[in-house]
Amino acid sequence: MSQPVVSTGPTTRQHAVRRGVPERLRPLLLLSPALLVVGVFFVGGVAQAVLQSLGRQPFLGQTDWSFDAYRATFADPAFRASLTLTLRVVVLSTGLATVLGVAVALLVRRHARGPLTTLLQSTLAVPHLVGALCIGLLLSPSGFASRLGTGAGLVDGPQDFPVLTNDAFGWGIIAEYTWKEAPFVAVVALASMTPHVRDLEGAARVLGAGRWRRFTSVTLPLIAPPVAAASVLVASFAAASYEVPRLLGQSFPATLPVVALQRYQDTDLLVRPQAMAVATIIAVLSLVLVAAYLTLVSRLSRRSL
Amino acid sequence: MNGRWGGRLGVGLLVAAVLLPVLPLVVWSAAGTWRYPDVVPGRLTRRGLDLVLDGEVVSATATSLLIAVTVAALACAIGLSAGRAIGLYRFRGRRLVQFLLLAPVIVPGLAVTLGIQVFFVRYGLADTVLGVVLVQLMPTVPYAATLLGAAYANLDVDYERQARTLGSGPLRTFLTVTVPLLRPALVTTALLTFLISWSEYILTLLIGGGQVTTLPLLLFAAIGSADRTAAAALGLLVVLPPVLIVLLVARRLRGRDDAWMGLARG
Amino acid sequence: MTRPTRRRSAVLSGLAALLVLAGCGGDDSAVGEETAPSSDWDAVLAEADGQSVNWYMYGGDDTLNAFVDDVVTPRLADLGVTLDQVRIDDTAEAVNKVLGEKQAGRTDGGSVDAIWINGENFATGVQADLWRCGWSQDLPNAQYVDLDAPEVATDFGTPVDGCEAAWQQANSALVYDSAVLDDADVESVDSLFAWAEANPGRLAYPAPPDFFGSMAVRTVLYDTIGGPDSLLEGEPDTSSEAFTDATAATFERLNEIEPSLWRGGETYPQSQDDIEKLYSDGEISAFFTYGPGAVGTKVADGLYPESTREAVPSVGNISNVSFVTIPANAAHQAGALVLANVLQEPEVQLALFEAAGVYPAIDVATTPQGVQDAFAAVETSPSVLPLAELLADARPELASAYLSAIEDGWVAEVQQK
Repeated sequence: MSQPVVSTGPTTRQHAVRRGVPERLRPLLLLSPALLVVGVFFVGGVAQAVLQSLGRQPFLGQTDWSFDAYRATFADPAFRASLTLTLRVVVLSTGLATVLGVAVALLVRRHARGPLTTLLQSTLAVPHLVGALCIGLLLSPSGFASRLGTGAGLVDGPQDFPVLTNDAFGWGIIAEYTWKEAPFVAVVALASMTPHVRDLEGAARVLGAGRWRRFTSVTLPLIAPPVAAASVLVASFAAASYEVPRLLGQSFPATLPVVALQRYQDTDLLVRPQAMAVATIIAVLSLVLVAAYLTLVSRLSRRSL
Repeated sequence: MNGRWGGRLGVGLLVAAVLLPVLPLVVWSAAGTWRYPDVVPGRLTRRGLDLVLDGEVVSATATSLLIAVTVAALACAIGLSAGRAIGLYRFRGRRLVQFLLLAPVIVPGLAVTLGIQVFFVRYGLADTVLGVVLVQLMPTVPYAATLLGAAYANLDVDYERQARTLGSGPLRTFLTVTVPLLRPALVTTALLTFLISWSEYILTLLIGGGQVTTLPLLLFAAIGSADRTAAAALGLLVVLPPVLIVLLVARRLRGRDDAWMGLARG
Repeated sequence: MTRPTRRRSAVLSGLAALLVLAGCGGDDSAVGEETAPSSDWDAVLAEADGQSVNWYMYGGDDTLNAFVDDVVTPRLADLGVTLDQVRIDDTAEAVNKVLGEKQAGRTDGGSVDAIWINGENFATGVQADLWRCGWSQDLPNAQYVDLDAPEVATDFGTPVDGCEAAWQQANSALVYDSAVLDDADVESVDSLFAWAEANPGRLAYPAPPDFFGSMAVRTVLYDTIGGPDSLLEGEPDTSSEAFTDATAATFERLNEIEPSLWRGGETYPQSQDDIEKLYSDGEISAFFTYGPGAVGTKVADGLYPESTREAVPSVGNISNVSFVTIPANAAHQAGALVLANVLQEPEVQLALFEAAGVYPAIDVATTPQGVQDAFAAVETSPSVLPLAELLADARPELASAYLSAIEDGWVAEVQQK
């Protein structure tokens, strides 16, 4: 090994290393494995779903572009029923999770913060698959709630208990999302209730603001951006997750992800473009929500500066 | 006084609402016969326990562990590299990278995986553990990159510079200086990516084709079957590790909403 | 019991053409060169030794899963074949998988070695040219199977052509709680519906295209038109007057009874598993099954009440055979052939009858005397209908094309209304 490098000292050696990769390209190099994963699987997956929804099935040699899959999808009453159901589930679960989550955060902040936060965090860790099982065992016509109702003399039997799982409205799905996601919103809201927020609330109290007034004009505006961002996450999840509606919903009408998989698993491969059309609709819906999330987050960081 | 009682009532309601759905799960896992409308089972059984110790479940547990550990390790490695770029560099296209790294965390995998499944089949990756590991990198790598990017942003690079000045090579500096400094974030990232993989159902089903049998697949089948004792016992087996992990990392995560983001999607 | 087949056999002629255009079809000769011909059984055994067979089958039946583990797996292991039972919810998933492989150009080394199948799923595969054919008559144990019997030679109207080997027989029956319904109530579909109207909420069937729900609807259809005969002659034609009139009358009856069904018909159970849960919870008191033999175990396990009984209403029972098929691109075809042969072994068929109450697909009269005696000696639960009574009035299945049309029609005319 040549001496000169050593003789010029360690800083030069560092330079020698740096010289291998120009400084400008280093972030790209560092990012390349992650971008490869995201590029191939995510961007590639979305692109393939779009292409296949337009009739370009790989390895089948089709060359015609067409909107037939979208036309067939939108013309199908089953799809329209499914879109209505999906939107209902998204709006109700997100709304309930947000309102309950904020209420829980306010409650937890005042009482026994440590143990209750841990309890909420444990709920977050429960896989949705297990959550769906729990809600099923609790709310099905012969479930635990119905048994308690019978014991208390409120319910005459399974037939008398309201249909809350595998129902047409989607109550079971909404219950599961709310049970799992309200703690998520609560954890985010708690994290945003910093000592700074508390100081401002104290100041408002000194100025004579009542409890409700303090909440609406001090606390809520301060925690709104992160809570809204969390709600966006809840909404996009509710729109695009498969297991919960598959287990707690009906096969007709089913939410969009269930419809996508039903079409994908149809033994008529010619239905696959329709599966891809539904998948594309879900992806677009979610990506719009991602953009909304990023906007909220950037507004939040500007505010905190 | 009034407010205090109201608060206690609220806390009681909250605890009940969180725990009530879990109660039937626990009871069913040990219920032999539990006829309607009994509120407690007529007979208890250890069948649930036997089932969890059954060869099929044990081997699915091993598969789940293998996949989750591999995914967590790969996601951390790739995330360490990407996190450095995100945390320490200002470069053009940073917003685009952020978007690309956020989108897969938010857009659930079903919509995306349907499009690429045919390529996994074509190249012999379908029905293999390798294929499942690869597809699970999609939700975990962006998450790891985001968490570790935040950790890098708080890293004092002077320590690295000093080590390099003292003659330590890049790899050695990385292993003896950078990794120890990032250790808390790294442990958290590893545990949370493990957890995402452990809970994953639909990607494993689509790419594993039913031949790569992880615990969530067994659980899903059990939920569909008429055997509620089996489903509940498996459900407990699936839920315990995540809850333990979260209790383990909870203290570290307090106040870090970005870390919870991935968790809400299990 | 009984495999769920289902879901559209919607004609795939277009698809088959596409596959050929794409150069993905026409692989049969290549496969033939690689794997032992079924006519040379020693060569099949030699090649199978050391293979691992992926058998895709409906996995929701625990009794049957246990039978596979306890009886089939060890016998295959003795022959050097490892059995991997891949449990699926719906047989269509396996067919879809083979189709997907074909689309992706996997003409060999396919991951599905064998599928438990019949009906629409089999027909779909025939149309797309997915199966290896001309082998089932070569299995050594095919000597116990009456290959000329109509239910073995054709599968829901599709000729079998040696593309699949029989292994189970299914017969429909009504399961009911005799503490709630009496003999007169189960005499006919009419008396059953009259009972349901007097006792609303205690009868249910799963939503077609569920395999069992589809059978329940066909039971009503058979009853409406006095048996399937008018629809069995000639090529199936779903636009024929005979068929459209039959379905219209059937859906009308089903809509009439709907308010008296479980939950007033606002929602239908999703699967037979859901139906069985409802029965064991005491929510419903009667349901149709394809697996009457398995009811005894459920009663013995305490899942069903002691007073559970079975009946074949006057319409007769709907009977079919289910099979094992081998995809033409399967990686382990010799092993799959050995599996199909083991499933037809008289002792295995006997064990299946004993363990799960599944009726044999082989002709018991052709088996060794010892096996015949053992079959006769199997004790049946008082809850289970004796075989002779069950089989007294067996009716064949309709063609797959009719099944798809009935299922789609039910969704449009009954569920969505």
